[in-house]
Amino acid sequence: MAREDYQEFAETLEALDDEDMRFEYILDLAKAQDREEFPEEWKTEDNLMHGCMSRVWIVHDREGGRHYFRGASEAAIVKGLVRMMTKTFSGLTDEEIRQFNVDDVRRLNLGALTFQRQVGMMAMLKHMQKLAGQPAATEA
Amino acid sequence: MADSRAPVLANSTAYNVEAVRRDFPILSETVYGKPLVFLDSGASAQKPRQVIEAMRDCMEHQYSNVHRGAHYMSAATTDAFETARERVQKFLNAGSPDEIVFTANVTAAINLVANSFGRAFLREGDEVIVSEMEHHANIVPWQMLAEATGVKLVVAPVEDDGSFRLERFAELLTDRTRFVAITHCSNVLGTRVPAKELVQLAHDAGAKVLLDGAQAAVHGPVDVRDLDADFYGFTAHKLYGPTGLGVLYGKLDLLNAMPPWQGGGEMIEKVSFKGTTYKEAPHRFEAGTPAIVEAIGLGAAIGYVEELGRDAIAAHEQGLLNYANERLRSIDGVRLIGTAADKAAIVSFLVDGIHPYDVAAVLDRQGVACRVGHHCAEPLMDRLGVIGTVRASFGLYNTLAEVDALAEGIEKAKRMLG
Repeated sequence: MAREDYQEFAETLEALDDEDMRFEYILDLAKAQDREEFPEEWKTEDNLMHGCMSRVWIVHDREGGRHYFRGASEAAIVKGLVRMMTKTFSGLTDEEIRQFNVDDVRRLNLGALTFQRQVGMMAMLKHMQKLAGQPAATEA
Repeated sequence: MADSRAPVLANSTAYNVEAVRRDFPILSETVYGKPLVFLDSGASAQKPRQVIEAMRDCMEHQYSNVHRGAHYMSAATTDAFETARERVQKFLNAGSPDEIVFTANVTAAINLVANSFGRAFLREGDEVIVSEMEHHANIVPWQMLAEATGVKLVVAPVEDDGSFRLERFAELLTDRTRFVAITHCSNVLGTRVPAKELVQLAHDAGAKVLLDGAQAAVHGPVDVRDLDADFYGFTAHKLYGPTGLGVLYGKLDLLNAMPPWQGGGEMIEKVSFKGTTYKEAPHRFEAGTPAIVEAIGLGAAIGYVEELGRDAIAAHEQGLLNYANERLRSIDGVRLIGTAADKAAIVSFLVDGIHPYDVAAVLDRQGVACRVGHHCAEPLMDRLGVIGTVRASFGLYNTLAEVDALAEGIEKAKRMLG
């Protein structure tokens, strides 16, 4: 299921050949993320992902051997990326989270959208792997 | 980028920005298929081919370590390195090249003063004044000194519009004030501090003054003797020179009274296990092999800036600033952060309802490079009650058409995100 989310993001981004439309798609994801519950009391220092230019909070739960993530950000574009990553990673097992790597992020081709976003996604990937207690992916 | 309106710039009809742009190879690059509009010179400026060639020429034809080696190349490189120091001396109108210490950057220059002067001459209870608009580089070294020695940090206020009022600064001076470390020009707001009057006030109170000139030295002439500054720091890479090299100016008697901060080669007169004696300034503060090629690059950058004329550059940039203020003010929902009367060409702004990061991301897609965030000035962000800003900082190569590109990018961000 989480793999399916990832596939959908990747395929949609690939199908949109106009950069403005790709941008719009990420903003649509941000709006979808806004509709998900993320109470203000979750926006704590502990849930904050450090080192981002806009603040990103990620909350992690584990249930029945699977990981679940929820996230928020102040910036719309980052929020769209947070949605991609939290949806992709939710429902995965330890092993599946370990297997997700920097190439999967590269395949989203966010660097073509804006280079900063790809760098941010890499950081988010490593942060979420760490939250899940798994070794963080390393750059090839 | 063609700029047909250049003649409207006051006092700068002789300034040929298109010819200037041809000196900067990187400005003909494209990003995301669009012309690069580089409005992030406040973080680090691009380099003219005169600097690139001077550095390459050094490495290809005349390179060795300096101040040692009984051979032609060493003597010739030492001569070029010390000539660069003399160029810096003249650039700042310092009294002697011995007052020019090469450091790694302004951060290192400030750390040098805090660790050497601070630890030698400041005592528990002494007061050091900084301002609310300092870069972290001019806050943290003094906080570290305060922790180590019990020196007290006093913070001079900034007005809501980003201006700096001398009378409010003067109220903070006490008989315990021993040092003032203050920016000559804010990296976020562009505010110029009335430095000459400030130095006078501080001296009257018996305090020494360090001016952080990281931005100010780029945007207009600096005369350390006229300012009567005790210390002045600036960095090569914001002045169209290379990274890895900063400058600390210090009055010679002060520098020679200060103990070395870092030990090693080059800074010693004689070393034995019974004790070591140190060279005079500036060499006592330059332990280890210095940034030789970079110093030669800085010399070339100074030559480049002086040939264009520092007043002419300042006039050109003032025209850019005036036009940027006018264009941005005409966009609904844009709020300028920092509108002091005396400003360098640095424009911070916010767009209502849109996170600055998103604004910068849309601008980036249009090829417009700005900086976003707290700009290493978190206390200033807190003071102004903002999470960060988008900052467009202009340099000698920017054009009015690039201001238009910025304004159009903001309009686009509003359409997409508003």
